[in-house]
Amino acid sequence: MSLERKDDHDHGGWMKSRELSPVERGYLTVLIWLDKRLRLVDYLEILEDLYYKANLQMPKSHTEQYNLDNKFWYWYPLYALGSFSTIAYVVAAISGALLGFYYSPSTAAAGAEGSATVAYASIDFIMTELNFGFLLRSLHRWSAQVMVAAVFLHMLRVYFTGAYKEPRELNWILGIVLISLTMVFGYSGYILTWDQLAFWAGQIGVEMSLSIPLAGEWVAQLLFGGFSLSQSTLQRFYILHVFFLPFITTTLIAIHIGIVWMQGIAEPH
Amino acid sequence: MAPSDETDEEVRADGTGIVPPDDETPTWGERKARSQGLSRLTYEYFERSRREDQDLRMESSYVERDVLGFPTWPHEMIRNLAITSFFVGMMIFLAATLPPHIGAPANPSQTPAVILPDWYLYWSFGLLKLGPLNPDLAILGGQKLMADRTYGVLANLVVVGFIAIVPFLNKGSARRPVEQPFWAAVGVFGVVFSITIAALSVKNLVPMDPHLLFDLTFLLPPVAGFIAYAVLRTMREGYMFELNRRYYRLRPPK
Repeated sequence: MSLERKDDHDHGGWMKSRELSPVERGYLTVLIWLDKRLRLVDYLEILEDLYYKANLQMPKSHTEQYNLDNKFWYWYPLYALGSFSTIAYVVAAISGALLGFYYSPSTAAAGAEGSATVAYASIDFIMTELNFGFLLRSLHRWSAQVMVAAVFLHMLRVYFTGAYKEPRELNWILGIVLISLTMVFGYSGYILTWDQLAFWAGQIGVEMSLSIPLAGEWVAQLLFGGFSLSQSTLQRFYILHVFFLPFITTTLIAIHIGIVWMQGIAEPH
Repeated sequence: MAPSDETDEEVRADGTGIVPPDDETPTWGERKARSQGLSRLTYEYFERSRREDQDLRMESSYVERDVLGFPTWPHEMIRNLAITSFFVGMMIFLAATLPPHIGAPANPSQTPAVILPDWYLYWSFGLLKLGPLNPDLAILGGQKLMADRTYGVLANLVVVGFIAIVPFLNKGSARRPVEQPFWAAVGVFGVVFSITIAALSVKNLVPMDPHLLFDLTFLLPPVAGFIAYAVLRTMREGYMFELNRRYYRLRPPK
């Protein structure tokens, strides 16, 4: 009796019996190897099922059904705002990751004169000395601005076409959460430059959180690390901006788009 | 399992033996049907809704496509690629032509004359300046119920909360603004208010009397909303006329 495991379904023989190109053979070998270990077939079936549900059973669109001569093509750009904000989010994520190589969230004095902090000096370095650094920061900032603008306009489009109605209420609320997260993203990034505007916008943030009834002091300490701006404020906003918010926002965007996929686009009526 | 099977192979109790299904092994469908309590309810509900869907499908005259939209490759992919490159190119163009500004380094001992958040937070910043609207109660001897700052933060929560519950206030199948003039007018009110409150938040920079600006902040939105309502109500007459004409042309009255 051989100790070698039997190939129960004779995958090897099956592959030999067919004329396969090297690419096909390599692909099948990897697929069979993974499938033996991870039962990929089950998941592929689910994916296949989803694909055919989404693409092959598409009912006639509103224009086709009522023969409206495709009169509303000029509204289509408004229906691209959601994907536009997603694209801007991806661009901001990539340029932000590259910026993160050069940025350090520290309020220690950078030079002997002691006026500028290390955080400010690292942005100064990115903008004046780093190759393409100016473009990188500009791109990050503009993709963030564009994302916020697109998200606002997307919300208006959804509101004025009544696309939030049953069965899409949950996705509307998820969208409110996402637009808030986008603004927190923007605010936390605004703080990171640690220039005069950033510092005093942070000061307003501390006062705002202190004004929250009952939980104010707790919120201020959690978010800002104290009642006045310091190293811990910058550190916290940095971690918020590059760790917590990306994870949360990416997950929620995936769920948001997944629900749109399941429910279909709310067509204009 | 038959007794003869048990004799020629010893029973393994470590869970490694694979027992082939025989006639008495319940299928997954039967297992679900036999279950108790909440899982039984879930099963019954799903079976019911599946049957309802099937009935609806059978009796509807809805035409389903046999072949279906464009293939993902190459049509959809090329279109998506074109749209994506256009948008990304637009952002790179903006980034190249309008580079960002960086101010003087942070100085805790010197408050600048103008403190501003980014533009998309102006509305929230403006809601913090609603102090003059915070009522002072005669019972409290002219004292305010809450500090102006608390009032501003609560105003933010009220605005966001109202937007969140809109789907539960406005129901029905109306979609276009002409079909629901009131809610479209509410939307116009909101848009104009977000702009005026943003202008109020930067009142230092707006060349206008601050009192006039404050009054306009709360006067303009209702006016705009009212105009939108009037216009849409007027448009609705013509819209319904068109809709009815199309309907009766398709299905002439007997």
